[in-house]
Parts: sequence; structure tokens; C-alpha cells
Amino acid sequence: MQNKIRSLLLKKILFPVSIILLFLQPAYGVEVKAVIDKVVENLNGKTAIMEISMEVTTKRNKRTMKMKSYSIGQEKSFIKVLYPRKDKGITFLKVDNAMWQYVPRIEKTIKIPASMMLQSWMGSDFSNDDLVKESSLSEDYTAELLDETEDAYTVALHPKEDAAVVWGKIHMAVSKEFYLPTTVSYFDETGVLIRELLYTDVKPYGERFYPSLWIMTPKTEEKKGRETRITVFNAVFDEVVAEHYFNKRALKRFSR
Amino acid sequence: MLIRLALRNIAANTKRSIITVILGLVSTALLVFSTAWMDGSHQQMITNAVEIYSGYIQITGDNFRDSPSYDHLIFDVAGLQRDVEAVNGVALFTPRFESFVLFSVGDKAVGGMLTGIMPEKEQHISRLKRSLQEGDYLGENDTNQLYIGSELARRLHVTIGDEVAFVGNGADYSFAADRLQVKGIFQTGLFEFDASSAFLAKPYFDMIMAADNMATHGIVLPDTLDNSVQLAKSIGEKIGGEYQSASWQQIMAALVKSMKLDSVFGYITLGIVFTVIFFVVMIYTLLTVFARIREIGIMRAVGTTPKQIFSLLLLESSLLGVVSVCGGGIVGGLFAYYYSVHPMVFSGMEEQFKQYGLAVTAIPTAFEPLTILRDMVVMFVSLLLSTLYPIIKVNRYKPIEAIHHV
Repeated sequence: MQNKIRSLLLKKILFPVSIILLFLQPAYGVEVKAVIDKVVENLNGKTAIMEISMEVTTKRNKRTMKMKSYSIGQEKSFIKVLYPRKDKGITFLKVDNAMWQYVPRIEKTIKIPASMMLQSWMGSDFSNDDLVKESSLSEDYTAELLDETEDAYTVALHPKEDAAVVWGKIHMAVSKEFYLPTTVSYFDETGVLIRELLYTDVKPYGERFYPSLWIMTPKTEEKKGRETRITVFNAVFDEVVAEHYFNKRALKRFSR
Repeated sequence: MLIRLALRNIAANTKRSIITVILGLVSTALLVFSTAWMDGSHQQMITNAVEIYSGYIQITGDNFRDSPSYDHLIFDVAGLQRDVEAVNGVALFTPRFESFVLFSVGDKAVGGMLTGIMPEKEQHISRLKRSLQEGDYLGENDTNQLYIGSELARRLHVTIGDEVAFVGNGADYSFAADRLQVKGIFQTGLFEFDASSAFLAKPYFDMIMAADNMATHGIVLPDTLDNSVQLAKSIGEKIGGEYQSASWQQIMAALVKSMKLDSVFGYITLGIVFTVIFFVVMIYTLLTVFARIREIGIMRAVGTTPKQIFSLLLLESSLLGVVSVCGGGIVGGLFAYYYSVHPMVFSGMEEQFKQYGLAVTAIPTAFEPLTILRDMVVMFVSLLLSTLYPIIKVNRYKPIEAIHHV
């Protein structure tokens, strides 16, 4: 009896449903793109003012820095280092794909050249490129749904042919509850896992939920034992952020 | 008896003998000189690469060569220096700290290598000081004084006394930045090196980069340069697994390999040229032997055996061969020697030379008697081989045919 029901279920329901699902595939793709768009939107907000601390662990030591950042959407951001004292007042400005840095100790504004984009940012496991290109996930990659469970999507992002990106592919796990990423894995062109970024400790900030702890772990042998943790200890979203943060003069002006 | 006959034959046909000798002589001289030239330019490239900066033996933290990060530094330079200097055959040890930074002047920013060196010792181990073009070399107690590559200075538009700012990471990954003043400009001629390198005195460098008693490289000058491989090995045994010790042959494995490959192509080209020469000699011998066919026929008719004729003709070509090969060896050797003492200068070809990593446009040939001797033997054997066919061919004629041959 039970067997009969099972086979009936299989023939009459599951089979037609799977056929329909097969045809629904294209519509599915659109939905994945929407998921990524939503994730990018949730990670950046219309505007954001954040206070963060960054802890860089290497084989030999551990360093902590504190910073404040202002951003409008994905295009503009301004970061100021607050701690340690010797680095206080170092400022970064990112507008679209360009990046500048001001160093008060030498009273100098420096435009980071394209050749330095892959260099480490402030000795951390993030690169300059990460700061500049963090927004391009929805523009430079095509999304493919790998897996869907009750509370999460797993999405593979493949670079578009003409996109100037560094990764061969990116896997992203997205929580359905907040539409925020939980784990992002970065692979090179040969499919080797290079690094992994974890977003955890989602907390409410005003009306928004936001991951308050980011952990970047390089996975290559040469960078074994390294880790960078970013803790968001204060964030305000969607308030008006003054435009005057986002020009080159601001680098020096707001350094003090 | 045969020798007297052979000598008489050679003397009797003066013109023919002279032409044969000249043919062999010129070919030998050409082979000797082109080999000397090829070896010379390869040696020059390697010497350049080793002596200008890289050094004969390099010591690094274990794994540094594969993944050059601050995790694999030499963390106790003083201790390493004590150990290395205790090894027999070490003439000098000096530490270097190389760091990738961003140089900036005005609105310009250029990535490059900022390296802390011990100016006093460095001058004995590399050609940095001798490559001074303008201004002064670094002093041991210099502070923010910068010794910068000519091409990098050009890219940043700076000259002596100008200020160059840099930002980078200290040895503890912390943020490092400073304003430096150009003290000297150097030009080694290694284009990439001159376009990306600048140097500070290490004591000051250590202070701003938090690199006290640390280094990325320890450079060793051996007592005898030929001893690099063995010395690198014994240093490696002394300092243990924490460090890697490598001779220039290992450091420059790629370069050494490419030189070998280049030699192979060189020999292929020479091979083609000498195949042509081989046939020219053969055809010429064929003609001269057939010009004597009646003489040979008469000799056979009066009772000389084919074997004796074969020996006679071979002896003749051997004698001519020895003379031409010796002459060629001497002429080629003289040229090789002259140009090893007075290197050939190719002015106006600097750009092309840069592509091969050649720092200078003067290239000395390699004068190596053993190589010359080898080339002479090769030439002698091939000269003999090229006469074999004509000799065998002429011996096949019956006496009567030979006498009536037109």
C-alpha cells in the first residue's frame, strides 16, 4: 500500500513538477541575480557611517587598528584611521574605481596606481582592490544558483568575459533571513581556493540588519596562520552623509 | 716513403694545396671565434646578473624564495652573521632588507623596491657603488638619504637633493612612510633594476620599517668565486633548516638554462654553416683528386696497391688538414684573445642589449684554450671525413680506365 502511494506520488506529482521546474530555469536565473543585487544593496546601504576595528593576526604578531568610514552607495567612500596613535589621521578616499591616500606624517596625498591595487591594504588580508571593487559583484559577475536550502542560497559568481576582475570564481552563501552573505569563497582561475570571508554576528542597526564581524582567512600555504577580523561596533545607515567627504581636499581636511 | 711522396705531391701542386689550406684555415678560425663570441656573451650576461646586485650566494629565511613574505624573514641577522662568518671560505657577509613600497613625488606615484643595505660592505659585494652616476653613494650613518636608480629617478622626475616620499609596510606589517632626500643616482645598466630600485642605509631603514636585526637576504662573497656551489652547501649545513642557502647557479637557474638553450641554437646555426663548408671541401677535393686521376692510374699500373693510394691521399689531406686547422686555430685564437682583452663595443645598440639583460654594450669574447683545441679537433675530423668519399671513389677505377679518363 505504502509502496503504491510512493510510486503514485513519484509518477503523478514529482515527475510533472520537475518538468515544470526544468522549464522554470531561466526565471530562476533572474531570481539569483536579484538575490545578489539585494545582498550588495544590504551590504552597502544608501549611505553608511561606520566605526570599525580591524585586527590583523600574522604568524608573528597581532595588530589592532580603529577606523571610521563614510560611504554613499557603492561608489564613494572615505576612511579615516583613528588608532594606533602613530597612524592616526591616515585617510583613504575611494571614488568609483580610483583611490587616494593621505599620510599626515609626510603631509602627502598619494593616488594608488593600478599596479598597486592587489597589494595588501594597511598590512591586512584585504587588498586595495577589495576596497575599490567591493561593489562590482552584481555588475562584473554572472550568478548561478548552486544550491538552495530552507534558510540559505549558495551562489556561484563567474566573471563576465570583459570584466577586469581578479578572481576566477566566487562562491557565496547567502542567508535567506537577512539577505546577507555568510561565507564568501574566492577562487583563482585554476579553481584553487585562495581565501574565505566570513560575515557573522548579524545585529540590528536602526532598521537594518548588518553583519558586525567579518573574518578574512587566506587559504594559501604561504599565508598560513594569517587572519583579519573586522568588527563593526557602530553603524548608522541611510542618514544624510555630507558630500564634502568625497573629494581630494577632504583627505587632508578631515585627517585631523 | 709515403710521407715523402705525400709531401712531394703537396709541393708539386702549390696552388691546389694553398686553396685547400685556406679553406680549412678560414673555417677553423670562424668556428673558433664564433664559439668564443657566443660563450663570451653568455658569460657576460651571467656575470652581469650575478655581480651587479644579486651576489654569488644568497641566504634567505626558509621558504622565502617560494613565497617572499614578511613571515619568512631572517629574524636574527646578528646570529646568522656569526654562524656564516665562521664557515671556511666566506670572505664577506652583508644583510639586505627588500621591501615593496610606493614612491611618490608630486602627483606621481610609482611602485618599486626600497632596500636597506650596509653601504660599507655592500660596495665589496655588488656594483652598486661603482654604478654611481650622479651625487654620492650612501654612508653608514646616513639617515633619510636615498640612493636611487636612474630610470626610477627619471620616472619620478627627481634629481640630487629632491625629495621622494614613500609609503609601505614595515616588517611588523604596520604602516610605514617617510620623506627621503635623493643623495645619489646610480645606473647599473640592468634596465628593470634601475627602473625599480632605491636604497637606504640599513640602520635608518630598520628604524622606520621596524626591521631591527631582520633581513630578507644575507649575501655572501666567497673567497674563491668558482667555489660558490660548494660553499653555499657548507653554509647551508652550518645554519640549519631555518634558512636556505643558495649559490647563484640555483638563484639564476632560469638564466643559466636559457643561456644553455641559446648555446644549443647557436650550435645548430654553426652546424648548418659547417655542413655547407663540409660539402664545399668535399667537392673541391673531388675535383682535385679527379684532376690527378691519370697520375693515379699510372701509379696503379706500375704496381701501387689501392690501399697504398688510399693511405697516400689520406696522408696528403691529413697534412694539409693539420696545417690549416693549426693556422685557423691560431688566427681564431688570436682574434678571440684580442677581443677578450679589448671587448667589442656596440654603441647605439643599448636598447637591444637591454632586452637581453646586458648592462654594457662592450662584450668580451671568452678566450678558452681548451675550447679552441676542441674546435680544432672537430674541424680536423670533419676535413678528413669530407675527403674520404673522393678518395674512395677514385680508388674504384681500374688502372686502365683511370689512365684513359678524360
